[in-house]
Amino acid sequence: MMADMLHRGQAWLAEKLSQHASRQIIYQRDDVSVELTATIGDSRYEQDDGEGVITRAQVRDYLVDTQALMLSAIGTLPRRGDQIIEQEANRTFIFEVMSLGSDPPWRYSDPFRIKLRIHTKQVESHS
Amino acid sequence: MNATIIQIAESVVGELNAADLSKKGFTATRLYIPNFDLEDMKELRVSVVPREVEYLPLDRASNKLHATIDVAVQKKFSKGNTNEIDPLVAFVEEIADYFRLKRLNSFVAARCIKVENSVLYSTEHWLQFNQFTSLLSLTFELAK
Repeated sequence: MMADMLHRGQAWLAEKLSQHASRQIIYQRDDVSVELTATIGDSRYEQDDGEGVITRAQVRDYLVDTQALMLSAIGTLPRRGDQIIEQEANRTFIFEVMSLGSDPPWRYSDPFRIKLRIHTKQVESHS
Repeated sequence: MNATIIQIAESVVGELNAADLSKKGFTATRLYIPNFDLEDMKELRVSVVPREVEYLPLDRASNKLHATIDVAVQKKFSKGNTNEIDPLVAFVEEIADYFRLKRLNSFVAARCIKVENSVLYSTEHWLQFNQFTSLLSLTFELAK
């Protein structure tokens, strides 16, 4: 059936994304943390000047396999306030799961719920 | 010499830094536009911003000035639960009480005639940045 074909194609694409365009991240909720594979979906700088008081942040989307997160020790869909820790060279970057504009903190990235698009903002970085 | 509203804002900064308030370890700063990175919001930030001046004729030679100063209280929170936020709301109220009808120590001509918590907390900053942002507007009156 056509829908199954599309589903299979999406699953194949998601697998290739995980294999060839991903990096290891640590997904953390309170004291629980797990290592996952994630693709960087979007990265940009954003600012909000509500009430004349400006806050700026580095925004980053992570694409994560839904099943990988659900079957990990985290065991649920993302929650606001969860953290994603990324190592690059000798630096550690910590991003926090939060809303982005009118979007909730996460959404499914495809019609078959294979991948999650998780919106985060950088809250810390250190060497 | 600085404009009157700037002198008032500087005096407000001095008062806040010298006052014995429940939150310690912050340094109030005068800014034209508070502009911070989310990464820098883990510490409590208190910004003093000159906002507007109203000139009302008092007599032939002088005006009655109403100078409005905004005080922004900001902090990034982790959970946003009552344990974390209630002390911040109380701190804002403490500042409001502190300035009630107060004559500024280093600018005694100015007296605070109105305190308004125009933004108790910004829902936008809450949702977009997990950040508490509260805005107090202090109106000072003086003849000049």
